[in-house]
This record gives sequence, structure tokens and C-alpha cells, in this order.
Amino acid sequence: MIKFENVSFAYDATPEEKSLRNFSLTIEGGECVLITGPSGCGKSTLLRLLNGLIPEFYGGKTEGSIKIDGNEIRESSVVDQAGKIGTVFQNPRSQFFNVDTTSELAFGPENLALPEDEILRRIAKTVKNFSIGTLMDRSIFELSGGEKQKIACASVDVLAPEIILLDEPSANLDFEAAENLRELILHWKNAGKTILIAEHRINYIWDLADRVVILENGVLAREIKRDRIARFTEEDATRFGLRCLARTAPTSLVKVENEASGQTQMDDTIILKNFHYSYDKKQELYSIPEMKIRKGKVTAIVGANGAGKTTFLESVCGIRKNSGIMVSDGVSYTYKKRIGMIFMVMQDVNHQLFTESVLDEVLISQPEEDENGAKAILAEVGLKDFSERHPMSLSGGQKQRIALACAIASNLPFLLLDEPTSGLDHVQMYAVAEILNRLKNEGRTIITVTHDSEFIEHCCDDVIRMEEA
Amino acid sequence: MSEDTWTSSKKKSLLDPRTKLLLIFVEAVLVLATTGGEHLFWFRVVFAMLPFLLLLTAKRYKTCFIGLLVLGVIYFLEYTVFPYVNGAIAGILLIIIMIINRFLPAYLMGVYVMGSTTVSEFKAAMDKLYVPDALTIPMCVMFRLFPTIKEENDSIRAAMKMRGIRFCGRKAGKMLEYRVVPMITCTAKIGEELSASALTRGLGKEKKRTNICHIGFGWADIVIFLLVAATLVYWILGVFA
Repeated sequence: MIKFENVSFAYDATPEEKSLRNFSLTIEGGECVLITGPSGCGKSTLLRLLNGLIPEFYGGKTEGSIKIDGNEIRESSVVDQAGKIGTVFQNPRSQFFNVDTTSELAFGPENLALPEDEILRRIAKTVKNFSIGTLMDRSIFELSGGEKQKIACASVDVLAPEIILLDEPSANLDFEAAENLRELILHWKNAGKTILIAEHRINYIWDLADRVVILENGVLAREIKRDRIARFTEEDATRFGLRCLARTAPTSLVKVENEASGQTQMDDTIILKNFHYSYDKKQELYSIPEMKIRKGKVTAIVGANGAGKTTFLESVCGIRKNSGIMVSDGVSYTYKKRIGMIFMVMQDVNHQLFTESVLDEVLISQPEEDENGAKAILAEVGLKDFSERHPMSLSGGQKQRIALACAIASNLPFLLLDEPTSGLDHVQMYAVAEILNRLKNEGRTIITVTHDSEFIEHCCDDVIRMEEA
Repeated sequence: MSEDTWTSSKKKSLLDPRTKLLLIFVEAVLVLATTGGEHLFWFRVVFAMLPFLLLLTAKRYKTCFIGLLVLGVIYFLEYTVFPYVNGAIAGILLIIIMIINRFLPAYLMGVYVMGSTTVSEFKAAMDKLYVPDALTIPMCVMFRLFPTIKEENDSIRAAMKMRGIRFCGRKAGKMLEYRVVPMITCTAKIGEELSASALTRGLGKEKKRTNICHIGFGWADIVIFLLVAATLVYWILGVFA
């Protein structure tokens, strides 16, 4: 049993701003609790208080009491909780200590100095339960995001903790991978583990939860018990600033204007020809003989796996060497010629923010530096008050909007986006959708790779399925 | 392998990690620093060729081929071009030839060792050499971070390329800064998340960790030891002769 009693917490970096305020909650053993709420509502803080990363790793001031099975844990360190509490984190790229998967699974039990036979037995058991035999003895760097997250879950499972915490585990996963993650969580639930999941994307686990806790600015805004979860409607979700509840596969939304109707003409479309990519000769990642994209519209690309779609966008953008041709207004462009025509917002926007201030970032994106213009653009994306801040000091959603501001500033006719809504809450997702709608009305052509059905419904005109080869 | 069964494989790489460390040391002393001079010339040739052989055993054919190609070009320059040029060009050429000749084998040995050693094997070797955890754990993390830094670097380079045309001329002087700043922030962030994840899984909890990875010497290690011993004996004989 986990018991929070009047817990308040403020990070050292922002002492005047409390991440949790007078928070009380009791979680019974074997319960599966979903914790949600807008960005910055304190849901990650809650998990960090439990696993000991607060205060050991993230300094701050804690008040109140947190008890697990009657024992106060505020004074215990992170490693004290190892083996009792397991944590799955958000970023699949940064959770691994080892380079190969088998060592990674062995890592936790090795740290606890368990005997070797026991470790091997546990690994075999986890592999069986999670059906990950094919992922064993592989390099972490060869795995897809979804596969990495499976290994992250498995490396927690081998420690056999009674309490499992998941901190936005699906933020970087596509639809299928999130469905797989759901299966693993279901397995833990059936095994009687106590589970706490902090998530924005609630639809894939909505019906698994025994209880839903909604936080707002560090305060418990609403608690929904098991029997009420099914009655919570989409309207209720919107009112609390939550993402949608329905589990819609993005591939089920595929729609393309019928060409036979004669509405689309050659000069209204760009044609992507001969795009294909393979890691080696045997296995082709994708193969697109021809794809038509309507100009001045937002086109979503769904299906296939994450790696394939990112590579495809990089190829279209021209930053990856490839043989694909883009035809626009009767002119063919090779990858070299496409550089400088197309702006791309990458999945990890941290890679494309170079300067010391938000304003500088927009200025260097403009064809001719124009400070007033840049400020107008920042106001438009809702970052007016942040123009002097360092881009890296902002939140994920804000960084996403800086990148979009740069795209607007660049005046380039084509815009590519790679999973622009991963890790964004309801409000932030709407902000992105809105900006895209505006850019579309300016006549820009936008292609976005996404798994986010809610986002597609809000701003995409065409949805194309990219088949796996 | 099927979906739900796994048995620990006892497959080991050809050489023990300790032997690999010894080899890096010998490459550095004998080939890079050319200790022993003319007297050890043939031993140096053997050790300069060894990395290529080892890369073949690790199935790194491409690296091996490129390495041989570079070496071939260097020898071609040394014997056909170098004697016929003079002045500054000769100086520059000499420096290039010297550097590549000496560094390439040691570099390739490094590539082989990094590519063929898992973190657990390295940790096991260090434990057997009684190196304290305070030293080996940061080194293990480095093993893990190198490929990550490369991934980050590639992504940032791609992002710069996309926006690059705009920078030319205007902010050319700031190119390095634009490249390095996101690199440092991204790597630091990954390092931080990595430690958080490792701590929650008990890193540093027990004084003596288990290691399910077993290492040991085999016939290939003995061959290498004999070779190194022979070099050493021949060198000492040469010094006292």
C-alpha cells in the first residue's frame, strides 16, 4: 500500500512554484492507477518521489509523508528502492546501461548481487512472459523505439518489483508499439503488481486502469474510480485538458481525394517518385514507386514503423543521400536540389535548436534577418514572452513551437514534420494543429508523419498509408 | 531462436578482453611509438598486420578493406611519389605518411576491440584485474555513450544541413558553436537519464556485483602471448647485445 499524506514539493530550480500541493492519495496493493493531466501538472514528480530520484537526483523541498506498507520512504535513497520499485522511463534511447540486450536484462539483478543461476532463471522467465526471444543477444542500437521500450520493461521485470512506475512510457512510440506496451502492462496487472502510469496519451491504457487521477498544477483535480471510468466521456476529457480516450488506429483514417474525379490536376500536386531504402540487400525498409501529395494541404503519413518513416522524411528533405525524385510544377528535383527548399521539424527538436535565444533561432531561419518580423512570428506561436530565453530551458511543447516558428520564418514552400505531437498534451497538440492550419492557408505544403489519430482528425486533409516492404 | 525461449549462449569472442588490452598497449608502444627501432622491424610488420586479421575474424570486412586500401595508397605514395618531390610538398607528404603509417594499426586495433567487446565482458575483465568499480563503471558508461554521441552528432549534422544554406556567409563563424551546443546539451541529458535509470536498477547497491558474463583464455590468447613474449625477449636481447 502506498500512502501520500499532504505532500508538497518544489524543485530547487523553481522554489516559488510548487510542483505538488497538499497532495493526498492512497493506492492499494495490486491496483493499476493512471495519473494524467496537462504538461507540468506534477505527474512525473509524483513518481520521482516514490522511486527516490527526488531528492537524490532532483533536488527540492518535500513536505508531508509518503509511506509504502507503513514505512516512511522520504529518507530512503534510490538504490534502497531498487528491487522493490521498478521504473520505466520516457526516452527509449537513454535507459540502457549496456550495449547488448542480454546484459541489459542481467544488469539489475547483477547489481543486487543475486546468484548467477537465479539471474539466468529470471531472464528466461521474463523472456517467456514477454515473448522477446528474438530480441535477445542483440545490440540496443539496432532496435526500434518500440523494441527498446520492451527491453526497458523487461529489464524492470527481471528485478521482480512489487511496484512498477511508468513515466510517459509511450511518448516516443507509434500506435502498434503502444498496443504492445499495453500488453506488457496488462501482464503486470494480472500478476498482481501495483502499477502507476503517468501519461498524456491515455487512450491505450484507459480501460486497464482501476483508477484515474487527474492533476492540475500540482493539485488533485479529479479522482475517477473503476466503476466511473467507463462513464467518463470525451467531453469530460476535453474539459480537463486531456487527450482523447478513443483508441483509433491511424491507418483506419486513410483517405485520399479521388484522382478520377478530376479535381486534382497536375499542377496542384507534387509527385514523389522512386523512394526506397534498405539497411542491407535482403531487407527493404520501404519502397514507394510513386506518391502524390496535394499542394497547400496537410498530408499525414501513417503505418510502417517509425524508423522507416523518419528515413523517408530525411530522404524527401534531401539531408539523406537517395535516388528519389520530387516533381513539382513539372520540374524534377534530386535530393541535392531539394536541400534548401524544404524545412523539416525533427522528432527530437533538441537537434535543431542551435542558438542562445529563441529570437536568434527565428532570425537565423529568415532569408533576410528582420527582427520585427521574427517577433511577430513568435507572438503568433504563443512564445512572445520567451524571446530572450535559451531554447534549451523551455519545455518540450514550447521547443516544438520554436521549431515551427523557424519553419514559418524560413518562408520555404514545403514543410515536413516527424511525429510533431509526441509527448504533447491536449492544449499543446491543439496549438500545433492550429499553426499547421494557418500555414496551409498561406499555401504551404505540409507532410507530417504521425501516429496521433486525434491530431490527424484536427488538421490533416489527406492521410496516406506507407506500406512496409 | 523462438519468441519465448532463451538460453544463455556461451559464445565468446576469439580473444579475452585482457588480451585485447595487452594488444592495444603493444600496438601503441611498438607500432605507434616505434620502440625498439630497426631491430624490431619484422615484429612491427607482424603487429601492424594483426589488426587486419582480427577485423576479419570479427567479420568487419568493410573496415578491413578500407584500412588496407588506405595503407596501400600510403605505400604507393611513399615509394613512387615521395622520392620525386621536394620542398614543402615533400615535408607535408612525409608527415602524412608517417602519421598514417603509425596511427592506422593502433586505430584499427581500437576499432576491433571496441566492436568485439561487450560492456559485461569488459567489466568482467576489469574485475579479474582487481580494478575498482569507481574506475570501471565510468569507463563502461563511456562504451555506451560513444555510439550515442555518434547518433546525436549525425542528427545534428542533418539538421544543420537542412538549414545550412542560410548560415553560409552570415554566421559562418558561429558554425562550430551551433554544432557543439546542442551536442553537449543532448549528450548531457542522455547521460543524466542514463544514470537515473541505472540507479533505479540498483547500480552501486551491493559491494560485490554478480557478473553473468564469463571470460577466460583460449588458444588464440596463448598465441598472442607467445608472440608478445617473443618480441619482448628479442628486444631485450637486442638491447644487451
